[in-house]
Amino acid sequence: MSVCTACDSTAIPVIQLSHVSFAFEDTTQKNNSLHLRPYALHDVSVDINEGDFVGIIGPSGAGKTTLTSVLSGAVPHHFKGEFRGACLVAGIDTCEVELTDVSQIVGSVLQDIDAQMVSANVEDELLYGLENFGVDHEQIMQRVSEALEAVGVSDLLRRDIATLSGGQKQKVAIAAILALQPRVLVLDEPTAALDPLSSRQVFDTLRLLNQTQGITVVVVEQKVALLAEYCQRMLVLSEGTVALDGSPADVLTHRQELKFIGVDSPRVTRVSNKLHAKHLLDESCSFLTTDAAFTGIKNLIADNKAPRMADFEPRRSEDAFVVQRELDTKAKQQAVLSFDHVSFSYGPHAASVRDIDFKVHPGELLAIIGQNGAGKTTLTKLMNGLLKPSAGRVSICGLDTSVARTSQIARHVSTLFQDPDHQICKETVLDEVAFSLELLGVDTQIAHSRAAQTIKRFSLPADVAPFSLSRGQRQIVALASVIVTRPQLLILDEPTSGLDYQECMVVMRAVKEAREQGCAIVMVCHDMEVVYDFASRIIVMSDGFNRADGNPVELFENSELMKQASVAPPQILGLSSKLAADGYIAYESLSEVSDIVTITEGLVR
Amino acid sequence: MAGLLKYSEGTTLLHRANPLSKVLLALCICVAVFLAPHPFVLMGIIGVEVLIGLYAGIGRETLSLLSGLLGLGLVMCLVQVLIIRDGTAIFLFVTDRGLSTGVLVALRLVAFAIPLVQMLTLTRLTDLANAAVEVLHVPYRYAFTITTALRFVPIFADEMNKIVEAQTARGVSFDEGGIFRRLRLMLPLAAPLLISSVAKADDTALAAEERGFYLRTRSSSYKRYPFGAADIVVFAVGILIVAASIIL
Repeated sequence: MSVCTACDSTAIPVIQLSHVSFAFEDTTQKNNSLHLRPYALHDVSVDINEGDFVGIIGPSGAGKTTLTSVLSGAVPHHFKGEFRGACLVAGIDTCEVELTDVSQIVGSVLQDIDAQMVSANVEDELLYGLENFGVDHEQIMQRVSEALEAVGVSDLLRRDIATLSGGQKQKVAIAAILALQPRVLVLDEPTAALDPLSSRQVFDTLRLLNQTQGITVVVVEQKVALLAEYCQRMLVLSEGTVALDGSPADVLTHRQELKFIGVDSPRVTRVSNKLHAKHLLDESCSFLTTDAAFTGIKNLIADNKAPRMADFEPRRSEDAFVVQRELDTKAKQQAVLSFDHVSFSYGPHAASVRDIDFKVHPGELLAIIGQNGAGKTTLTKLMNGLLKPSAGRVSICGLDTSVARTSQIARHVSTLFQDPDHQICKETVLDEVAFSLELLGVDTQIAHSRAAQTIKRFSLPADVAPFSLSRGQRQIVALASVIVTRPQLLILDEPTSGLDYQECMVVMRAVKEAREQGCAIVMVCHDMEVVYDFASRIIVMSDGFNRADGNPVELFENSELMKQASVAPPQILGLSSKLAADGYIAYESLSEVSDIVTITEGLVR
Repeated sequence: MAGLLKYSEGTTLLHRANPLSKVLLALCICVAVFLAPHPFVLMGIIGVEVLIGLYAGIGRETLSLLSGLLGLGLVMCLVQVLIIRDGTAIFLFVTDRGLSTGVLVALRLVAFAIPLVQMLTLTRLTDLANAAVEVLHVPYRYAFTITTALRFVPIFADEMNKIVEAQTARGVSFDEGGIFRRLRLMLPLAAPLLISSVAKADDTALAAEERGFYLRTRSSSYKRYPFGAADIVVFAVGILIVAASIIL
């Protein structure tokens, strides 16, 4: 059967959606008649060809996950609601067959990777689908080892799933689907919980499967810059419809539309968009990666026979002066947080941090960067008193954390945790935000009126149950409840992960405001664009050590250091230091899209 | 809790035996515990349990479990001593009947719990489920429900840990006051955990469904679970323990 489908597969698209609309059943309504939520997808018509690598982007609530559910057959077989139109996979109407008939063609990996797993160890996880689909027992072990090898995790066969890292789990989940030899692989935000390095490894794996085995890949992703590098086709969803559809280069030139929809575009693409607008660069050429931008700009300058050495002085970013001024005033202020040769270890072979020594002053925004396992979260837990140092001293506003109770420390420090659901525990948004104040001993009435003000500032609904809100809104509720106490130190653990572009901006703007009011901020963040845009200082961690501490521009330009910490610098800085290293020194230390464009314009004209 | 039910790798007779034989052995020991009339016999059974643990390479786990259970047993013993009023008084409110019943109850509790935990430490959950489906004809959906529930225990324990951390950082003082105060503080936090666990369970159901949950039959499992020489030894030990507890 597989032979016959392979020969005509180029002719018929492997997936055909025609006028698909879907509304989920509203289960909160008690009576028996069917109540529907608003349409999650509305009149979507898309064909996907065999061998495509399709990326799906869009703000939260745009219908991305619903679309993956339609492709995998989970809609309408698992999730009930109203389905209109038709979804054909390999010519079969998904509504007319069983879910398992669809899943033999379309394999899907869910967003929650712990829920995706059905077994306690890797071998059983891979065996599961093979056993159920009745694969000949003679072939089973071969299929298992081939699948593990294809994603590069053969060494994990005997491991317990609970002992794997996030990236390893994601690869095992892909292998377990791959063993079933699907023609299409659908993944919902596979890198949401991963650091930049592991995210890239997952995408490398997907690209390899796409290129060597011809598997069609459909992947929903928030990291647009990463996706743009790998996918051949990009769909932008907005309010349940397909707003844009084309090659990443095509789609990302629509900067204004994307901004309106609420999707970020990679910084290097913004450079090419601006060069298009100034008619300096041919419309057919768009930059999707730093490397492409580097070659593109080099060619542009070479074509115009401009001199390599720029005539004018390289412009220093204004931020540098701000930082300098801050440094001057800082010396006079007292530190909010100080680490005095602090060490901590979870055990002889477990993660640890060693000899950490730094101070944070009011109004600073310190970003801690580095790979997963470098010790970043351990540092934040030492700051809010959840962990006590095994050597050295941590003090917060003069309080020694190893003697002070965590409830005492909470008067000065607020922490925004990565997952807002760990933080939220009250029945309404207002109670939730007021609870933070009540815990500090603020009178209930005052607490409620202060909470109401904060809620209003974020335009959140006060009387709604926090858990009925979207993921992004819940993050903003959690942020409101940490900011309402007006802490002297605010700790943010991955504040923007899982958020779309607009939500990310709401969060970071609020953080910026708190900082301007004199709050010191420590942020752990994997998104280097966010770090660069907002941090006044960075600490680079690797293997539990503080490798460097200083000005973001200087540290990001230190390619040795970035390599050691496995961190990719923000795109524009990466581009400018590459150009500068190649002899175009006018680009040195440029960090803004507009600066790159201005210098290029100057060199070309 | 998370480390307690973790499978411990090994190649001993107990690792190789059929999962169901191990369940039977554990049940035999439990029966013996109830038949044993005297504290010394119970101590003997606990001794055998420790030996089994040492043999199977889970000595450290067994001993830490033993010490934890002894604490719990002590509480049970005290409760019995307080409740039981008949018999002759030894000192203060303590009677001889109360004391002997208390000690018996405490030892029973300890001796009863250890083999069940040991069995789960020496058996992969999936093996247990597959063997139950193959040999005992247990419907697969029940086997899957139980293994999934047990698999979720450490995941939810980890979630709860994170929730407690987040609340502590906000200033909820879990670090002061007695156990009841702490419980009162923890209780409201169960709601968020429940909400996230329902969502997780639904996702797992979908993931299993998409990989042919409903197609699975008794003969689907790649691994087979026949009974062999190791099982005969295990059976023999089980019967021996029951017999010994009756005779002694």
